[in-house]
Amino acid sequence: MSSFSDRLLGRVRLGGLLAVAAPLLAIVFAGLVTSLILALTGNPPLETMKLLADYGAQSRTIVMIINLATTYYISALAVAIGFRMNLFNIGVDGQYRLAALIAAAVGGALVLPAPLHVGVTILVAVAVGGIWASIAGLLKVTRGVSEVISTIMLNAIATGVGAWLLTTDRLAVAVSGSNNIGTKPIPPSGQFPGFSLIPGTQAQVFGFVVIAALLGIGYHVLFNRTRFGFDLRATGKSESAAIASGVNVKKMVLLTMIISGAVAGLVGMPQLLGASYSYSLDFPPGLGFTGIAIALLGRNNPVGIAIGALLWSFLDNSSDILDLEGIPKEIVIIMQGTIVLSVIVAYELVHRYRLAAEQRRVSRELSTNAPAPLEGAAA
Amino acid sequence: MEAVISTSTSPATATDNAVELEGITKRFPGVVANRDIRLSVRPGHVHAIVGENGAGKSTLMKILYGMQRPDEGVIRVNGSPIAFRSPADAIAAGIGMVHQHFMLADNLTVLENIILGSEPRRRGVGIDFALARAKIAEISAAYGLGVGPDVLVEDLGVGARQRVEILKVLYRGARILILDEPTAVLVPQEVEELFGNLRRLVDQGLTIIFISHKLDEVLSVADAITVIRRGTTVASVDPKDVTARQLAELMVGSELPSPETRESTVTDQVALAVRNLTVRDADGRAVVEDVSFDIHKGEVLGIAGVEGNGQAELVEAVMGMRPAQGVIKLGDADVSAWPTLRRREGGIGYIPEDRQRHGLLLESPLWENRILGHQTRKPNVKGPWIDRAGARADTQRIVTEYDVRTPGIDVDAAALSGGNQQKLIVGREMSGDPVVLIASHPTRGVDVGAQAAIWDHLRAARAAGLAVLLISADLDELIGLSDSLKVILRGRVVADVDPGHVTPERLGSAMTGAKDEITPAPPPATGVVPEPPGPATTGIKGGAVPEQPGPPTGGSPDQLGSAKADAGEEA
Amino acid sequence: MLRTHAGKLAATTAVGAMLMAAAACGGSSDTGTATSAPAASSASSAAPTGPKVGLAYDIGGRGDQSFNDAAAAGLEKAKSELSLADTKELEAGSGETGAQKEQRLRLLAQGGYNPVIAVGFAYSEAIKKVAKEFPDTKFAIIDDAAEGPNISNLVFAENEGSFLVGAVAALKTKKDHIGFVGGVQVPLIKKFEVGFTRGAQAVKPDIKIDVKYLTQPPDFGGFNDPAKGKTAAEGMYDAGADIVYQAAGGSGGGVFEAAKAAKGFAIGVDSDQALTADEGVRSVILTSMLKKVDVAVFDFLKSYTDGTVQAGVKVYDLKAGGVDFSTTGGQVDDVKNKVDEYKQKIIDGTIKVPAE
Repeated sequence: MSSFSDRLLGRVRLGGLLAVAAPLLAIVFAGLVTSLILALTGNPPLETMKLLADYGAQSRTIVMIINLATTYYISALAVAIGFRMNLFNIGVDGQYRLAALIAAAVGGALVLPAPLHVGVTILVAVAVGGIWASIAGLLKVTRGVSEVISTIMLNAIATGVGAWLLTTDRLAVAVSGSNNIGTKPIPPSGQFPGFSLIPGTQAQVFGFVVIAALLGIGYHVLFNRTRFGFDLRATGKSESAAIASGVNVKKMVLLTMIISGAVAGLVGMPQLLGASYSYSLDFPPGLGFTGIAIALLGRNNPVGIAIGALLWSFLDNSSDILDLEGIPKEIVIIMQGTIVLSVIVAYELVHRYRLAAEQRRVSRELSTNAPAPLEGAAA
Repeated sequence: MEAVISTSTSPATATDNAVELEGITKRFPGVVANRDIRLSVRPGHVHAIVGENGAGKSTLMKILYGMQRPDEGVIRVNGSPIAFRSPADAIAAGIGMVHQHFMLADNLTVLENIILGSEPRRRGVGIDFALARAKIAEISAAYGLGVGPDVLVEDLGVGARQRVEILKVLYRGARILILDEPTAVLVPQEVEELFGNLRRLVDQGLTIIFISHKLDEVLSVADAITVIRRGTTVASVDPKDVTARQLAELMVGSELPSPETRESTVTDQVALAVRNLTVRDADGRAVVEDVSFDIHKGEVLGIAGVEGNGQAELVEAVMGMRPAQGVIKLGDADVSAWPTLRRREGGIGYIPEDRQRHGLLLESPLWENRILGHQTRKPNVKGPWIDRAGARADTQRIVTEYDVRTPGIDVDAAALSGGNQQKLIVGREMSGDPVVLIASHPTRGVDVGAQAAIWDHLRAARAAGLAVLLISADLDELIGLSDSLKVILRGRVVADVDPGHVTPERLGSAMTGAKDEITPAPPPATGVVPEPPGPATTGIKGGAVPEQPGPPTGGSPDQLGSAKADAGEEA
Repeated sequence: MLRTHAGKLAATTAVGAMLMAAAACGGSSDTGTATSAPAASSASSAAPTGPKVGLAYDIGGRGDQSFNDAAAAGLEKAKSELSLADTKELEAGSGETGAQKEQRLRLLAQGGYNPVIAVGFAYSEAIKKVAKEFPDTKFAIIDDAAEGPNISNLVFAENEGSFLVGAVAALKTKKDHIGFVGGVQVPLIKKFEVGFTRGAQAVKPDIKIDVKYLTQPPDFGGFNDPAKGKTAAEGMYDAGADIVYQAAGGSGGGVFEAAKAAKGFAIGVDSDQALTADEGVRSVILTSMLKKVDVAVFDFLKSYTDGTVQAGVKVYDLKAGGVDFSTTGGQVDDVKNKVDEYKQKIIDGTIKVPAE
């Protein structure tokens, strides 16, 4: 039987309509809870929701939502890769920060023609993320150190290394007239062009959204169509069965950790190559942790994660409009938390329902389709 | 063979019994757990429940202790029907459980461990240690448990820890104690002590339910015995009227269709050769020691032994899932250093003992389960890609050929009954054109129809030249299917047996170590029929037999081997 | 770690790194149009006819015991003394991107808020972009010199103020051993350290100075972790220091507690902490380095209502009275004259305090 954590991490599939029922149930429930809180704090729930919806429908807001969701999506994919085989890569945060910093420094220092410049910068990020994550993988494989512990430690170490590197003595340059410092800005040849997707605004969608979509497709193909993905999923579902089937679990742990880290290395790229062009003190931190929540929300499914990332991004981007209207912006955090919790609970309920239903269905179909004497008792 | 023993449950009046179970049935998806269990435990008795692993003992105990709720049936405690929703209810009803694996915090004292979770309160807040200490001393003295309350648990030996567990249960007011395989972790002296303690307890009017599959121990300590087989109670007997041999028969049963395969298909080509295989556990103790054998094409080699004597480790070593010393040759190739996958690719098929843990991805559809263990081979893959169409088509074939009863191949494996899960596994392992098949309890927990089908498939494959290593606790199956048999005890092969000339009773006795009851006559005493010269038999027998210590009375001689190691561990 | 307090960054006080950058000001400031702007934007018929002021805080917002609070104080003062039609305060969230900061400023500008004040250098890039989009709105940013025809930069010479309290520490120490606790190791706080060190060394060239930063970016928790501040300061007192200067925002309270326990002294920052800290620890605060963000905010709003807003850098240094040291409690009366001499030398340029 699947454990609760299997279901929590979406290693157990739900089929058909039920797959849709769970998140719908959860969002409706989260909506109710939020409304209740709004009402209790003296804010009209319906009007607040309308305010959010109206704001979210503005062209510029849509661009912002897509752009932020791109970053969240990559982060959640990185986390989900580990989740699929029971690895909790809490270290996505440190991996992307370090990767973005070093990639920014390399990108800022290079002089190369445009596509190559972007490519090299991205490769550096991928390599740094993968290498940093491989430390946790190696520790787990050789010394049995829990990756949860080691990645948390590595996050702290990444912070220290990053702070050490990001000084004017090393990778950073002072931004003129500011108290900020950052890496040397990446010249236009190294920038990832955005494009105008949404009419009615000059704001551009990150070009990286294409890369994120490709990553999602790659994720799906890797897990569902390749031998490697099969081994990885098998290990996640039942390590004992995977070992018996000949999977080298240690190798899988290491590889998965590296792949997760390599994808994590990309998390900072939309922001770096599409907006800030430099890694400075205000480079957004904490994206790795948001990724964990979204991976849970999206049940490790690439489409689910995309929806989760958009929802999360929408809520994050709405906090200011609430603030502006005098509604406590913390309501957004409450909504995010409630949604994650309700999704977990809803999936658990739906899973139980589905398990019982499938068993009933199997025995029913067998008794009607196969009039031949059934074996044994209703084992 | 049941004629010897009355299989009727003694219809004692319910009100007299400490525990009375009637018609308890528990279904889990895919497995038979308990079916129509009947059990009457008289107060002041040590009541043993015996059965093979997987016979349903543990489920029964979980039901009794409130960890699981039966689908049908009635539980009566001291005459009144009762429904447990949780262990807390069972504790409230005076039932306590001593688990096989101790649940003690090493870094706390005995006293702290005992009161953990039911601390006596002083004025609602503080813990009343004085009261607890007095109560523990009183209980300890009353039952002769002799445990000091202020010793750190980590300083205690295994036997003492077990007494702490018992004390813990008594402290919570239990009058009925369930002991789950209590002797599994003890050396013989400690077993004697434990039995002494148990006697004290029942003398004081407590009731003990004692779960075991060690027949000698059961016979020496129990006042009454109930045998469980295949999830149901098959007999309740008085230990005075029964021998270990008869108990073994009851446990294993013999009402099954015969797995006979007589005309030999054995060839002289060795398919699998194992030489001097030794497997050590984490503590460095040899759990498989110096085992050697050959299996020829077309031969079924059976390994007989009480569970826990190294069979599982032997299988895992042959599969490359567990490090081992010695040589394993597949045909002409030395595969000792090969990883599991390569061995599988080389033609070793594997029907694991625990199909749910090792054989299946329960939450994956059947066609993905078809790929498991064959993820490098056609028709499942094309290069690095999974060939969904190929795998699905082949799954459909297995479902048809092996009569797997399922509405389709997209159903999760968990939704299938145990028998159908097993047929799927057998079908899958046969599909890889195996040269050698390792079949570990291939028909355990499987219903009768599926069992016959699996036997048929094994026989057919054997006739086609497959070499089979068969591990089973079902003696009829072993004797019926095997071309040759080896008895394993404490990790060593102690005897070779000709399946053509052995009865389940004799084989069972050799396995359980109750050899003196089998053939009282000849001094070699194993009671096993002399083995006609067969492959790889010489040397093994001679080496092993003399090691067996002459058991005086009672006790459990088969524990002595491990006694040393256990004592070492404790130091 | 889940939530790094990203933005308290600009935290405590800022030294006028760009003292001279003031030259950049004046650029294209068009005071004429500026005055007309408020009329256009606050077309609302609300009773007070003054401007609608928008304020965007960095992470932490009101209640951070640091510069966000100081900015809020300036706004409060403006509310009571100038006739403001409306005020709106928005606050940054943790882990947000530059785009979100832009959007915050944009929402304020779109909502007719004019002027808009951004608190903290994290808004540097954001304010440049948004100011371009809303040329008729006046923007101000604290602690940053982001350029734009409608951006006023309110920057401070934290190094000069810190020089003075460094001198105080060196004059008052009995052990020739003092300490500095910085919240987060960023260039801004480095200015405090440099000023403090120079000031102390100006008095006693051989003085021993312990330096400790509580966290490193992007972990900005060092600005809001009194326990960390306490531990760091305890270490310094144990090692023999008797006066510790804290530039650690909300963590400073821990430094004061440690000072009290060690019977040592401490130096406050930003506001006159001998007046604002917990009453129990006020007695250990010799002096405070004053960084008058509130004054800067109020001045800016005042100039707006007067129609005299100037774009470009306005440096709040010693000369302008933007930074200073406090004498509350009278504990530094004996050395005040000496310190005032240094102050005068800095003002007249005889002493130049480096920023890094």
